[in-house]
Amino acid sequence: MMLSSTLTIAGRIINQVVRDRRTIALLVLVPLVIISVIGVSVPDKRVLDYTAPAMLATLILFFGFLLTGISFLRERSQGTLERLMASPISRFDIVGGYLLGFLTFALLQTMIIFFYAVYVLDVSSHGDLWQVLVFQVVIGIGAVCLGTFFSVFARNEFQMMQFIPLILLPQMFLCGILWPVSQMPDYLQWISKFLPLTYGVDGIRALMLEGKGLVDIGQDVGILAAYAVGFVVLAAASIRRNASS
Amino acid sequence: MWPVQETAVAVDGLSFRYGRLPVIDGLSLHIPPGVSFGLLGPNGSGKTTLIRLMVGLLRPALGTVRCLGRPPTRAIARQIGYMPQLPALYSELTVEQNIDFFARIYGLRDGRRRAARVAEVVRLVDLWPKRREAVLRLSGGMKQRVSLGCAIVHNPPLIFLDEPTVGLDPELRASFWEYFRGLTRSGSTLIISSHTMDDAAHCDRLVFLRLGKIIALGSPGELRAATGRPDASLEDAFLYFIRRG
Repeated sequence: MMLSSTLTIAGRIINQVVRDRRTIALLVLVPLVIISVIGVSVPDKRVLDYTAPAMLATLILFFGFLLTGISFLRERSQGTLERLMASPISRFDIVGGYLLGFLTFALLQTMIIFFYAVYVLDVSSHGDLWQVLVFQVVIGIGAVCLGTFFSVFARNEFQMMQFIPLILLPQMFLCGILWPVSQMPDYLQWISKFLPLTYGVDGIRALMLEGKGLVDIGQDVGILAAYAVGFVVLAAASIRRNASS
Repeated sequence: MWPVQETAVAVDGLSFRYGRLPVIDGLSLHIPPGVSFGLLGPNGSGKTTLIRLMVGLLRPALGTVRCLGRPPTRAIARQIGYMPQLPALYSELTVEQNIDFFARIYGLRDGRRRAARVAEVVRLVDLWPKRREAVLRLSGGMKQRVSLGCAIVHNPPLIFLDEPTVGLDPELRASFWEYFRGLTRSGSTLIISSHTMDDAAHCDRLVFLRLGKIIALGSPGELRAATGRPDASLEDAFLYFIRRG
């Protein structure tokens, strides 16, 4: 793996997105609309304080997965991935470039949502922004690599969209965003233990609501980091230079 | 300079199948350096699969491929240029940005030299006035030219071009061939797939492919002469070899 190749790919991704002004506008506006809808529709401030941090973790998973998945799908269908695979760069350069490129936008989104939630919607936050950002990076790495991996199983954008109800929605319902995991039936609690967003929601609430630090939520960080490493390996394995017959 | 090889590409006993369908069937071929070598055949004859095997994007079921004396792995990818059948470009990026991206990917690190080479290639493919235009706004023929630019920007001694003249008007096709002749004169080896006999006439050496097998090999003159008719065209020669079996 070469840092220069990784940076070249990340730079290309950032350049592509920046040149598409509508995408940039949507990247900023869509999370704001979602968090605004939640802010307006939740009358009880305690419920909003409970829900808003969870949305930070959820949105980075959602956008990281979707943007990378569709972007990588285009890379495959347009033939540029084949061109890259015929070049001297490794598949880890490609995954690394995608990570850096899309994490840049994911972190920008996180900051926008964080400041909007805290200063406009008056969501309580007792944690440090930098710790929230570091934690979001860990979730984002997993999301970007998960999107890269699942793009292998889609032949077009319509199929990629079908992974939202399959991969993302169950996590959103089972990870304690809207109601505590402890109030769910035992078998659903058991399932939620295998879903990365459970640890994302758990950790970010501890950071923002309880004012804990990354060290205090080491278990959540560790499990999410393990998922991230696993998804990086899966994503890299899904990009093969030479397919056999 | 790259070391001079006696054989630019050596293919021995190569077989490849998609599922149960044999696409390349025990094919052997030795391509000398410094020539334009045409792979001619109808759709489905195995031209693209053979190129992808030679570039290292597919792994053969049987047989070996050696490019410039070595297996086609990432280790020698810098010495190979590859233009896939699809334009395989980043449509949001400009002509210059696409060519610059592949220049970086192929290891042209020095900024000033890279910029000079990118400018040289943009002029070579006759797109200087369009250099700052997004690829999505270009015509099909212009995209083909950008794609060619991306394949040759790192000055490789061995270049694979998969149907490079598809969709080009006669004038542009002639300018492509003029450029290809310039490349072979400077010592590069070009392997070009096509299904048109017009392209075949420009090649130094040719193979006729049918159902994954070589049915004839020689210079355009030799193949025409083999029919025994002094006025035979390459199309006549192709039909002659098909009928001869």
